[in-house]
Amino acid sequence: MLLPELEYGALLSYSPHGSSTQAQRSRNLMLLLKQDGSFQRPANPPILVSQRVAETVRQNRGMFTSFFRSDTILVPTPKSSLMQPGTLWVPQRLATALLQCGLGRQVAQMLERVRPVPKAALSRPENRPLPQQHYDSMQVQKLLSDPSNILLIDDIITRGATLLGAASRLAEAFPKAEIRAFAAMRAISTENEFQQVYSPATGKIILRRAQGDTLRRP
Amino acid sequence: MAHQKTTSALTPEQLLGPLNDVEQKYAPKELYVAGAMEIPLPTPRAAIVGSRKPSLNGTEAAREIARRLVKNGVIVVSGLAEGIDTVAHRTAIQDGGRTIAVLGTPLNRVYPRSNFELQEMIKRDHLVISQFPNGMPTARQHFIFRNRTMALISNATIIVEAKDDSGSLHQGWEALRLGRPLFIWKAVLDDQSLAKPKKMLEYGAMRLTEPDEVFEFLPSQDRVIEITE
Repeated sequence: MLLPELEYGALLSYSPHGSSTQAQRSRNLMLLLKQDGSFQRPANPPILVSQRVAETVRQNRGMFTSFFRSDTILVPTPKSSLMQPGTLWVPQRLATALLQCGLGRQVAQMLERVRPVPKAALSRPENRPLPQQHYDSMQVQKLLSDPSNILLIDDIITRGATLLGAASRLAEAFPKAEIRAFAAMRAISTENEFQQVYSPATGKIILRRAQGDTLRRP
Repeated sequence: MAHQKTTSALTPEQLLGPLNDVEQKYAPKELYVAGAMEIPLPTPRAAIVGSRKPSLNGTEAAREIARRLVKNGVIVVSGLAEGIDTVAHRTAIQDGGRTIAVLGTPLNRVYPRSNFELQEMIKRDHLVISQFPNGMPTARQHFIFRNRTMALISNATIIVEAKDDSGSLHQGWEALRLGRPLFIWKAVLDDQSLAKPKKMLEYGAMRLTEPDEVFEFLPSQDRVIEITE
């Protein structure tokens, strides 16, 4: 059963199609994030994107107070594909970096993708996987004690279908837990709505039951 | 940013910039380079790899993909082998682009011998890279190590033509492990006699139908230096 909505937060934004310098720069950062590359800053040592995101979240903790509590379990969101052991898994690296910055209590790999779904980035909007497909293709590994707060961690949020499907799986396994989601970057599909990379935001992912898809606000 | 002029030994970090722990796992300690390209290497870089005995269609696909990459300022990376690799390097040079050859031999050897002139040209005007010091005897598994290194050097890998036992698939799996985009040319996936390339789709590989589909997944030449500016 899918959740009707999910609260989410995101630190950065990028423009998938914009032609401005800022938009192009945002896409470069998105690609760097997808590989957990490093910033090479002239006056400072290099730092991984995951670590820089975590540091910046800590500095903006006030905005994300309800997301990162002392008892929050950080759960990395599965990739759309299957994964061989040792594969780069950016949500897991983000979760670990956040924990190292004192955000959350524990990282728990509780969700696993057991069947691949098409990559959203390669699909036309009308063909992107729906939250039900994400829900159906994931399974939960339960913890010894039930968590009271769960924060799903992802690298990119577009319409939020993956996160809503994943949160619904977790809600079924842990009915008493409060579940939220956090992504390093959110996609701003409308070109003139994109302003800058650094744009912390909180909002909601809303299930449209009739269509079976999701809306993200903002 | 220095221009490489002579043969020298570099760490992967000197050549590519800082690496994360997943990238470091199979990265060679040293890389021997010769050529005329900026260090650290400019972006974007995409590898075109495939069969040593390609079909006419495979050859034409490799040529067309290399052309489109060059036209869009992408450095063409390949392994200087016969077949698809040679087509990729030669097309990049003929079209006025830049190319990097990643060798399975030391820099002072050439394999295959028929590519002696091509290797010399790339060494002079582009860049040749090897993880094997001069004098080291070449073993079969060196070409697998070379393929891993090529995946590390490239922002994306494109498999143009490959059989189920092809060395290109080693590179494909390494690209997936690194979280780099892996594209498999449509003809490989449409070949009903092949199973292994299709399996890679389940692990994140992408079907390449048009060469231009690659560009969305490649970084531009600008380096990102901060997230809050």
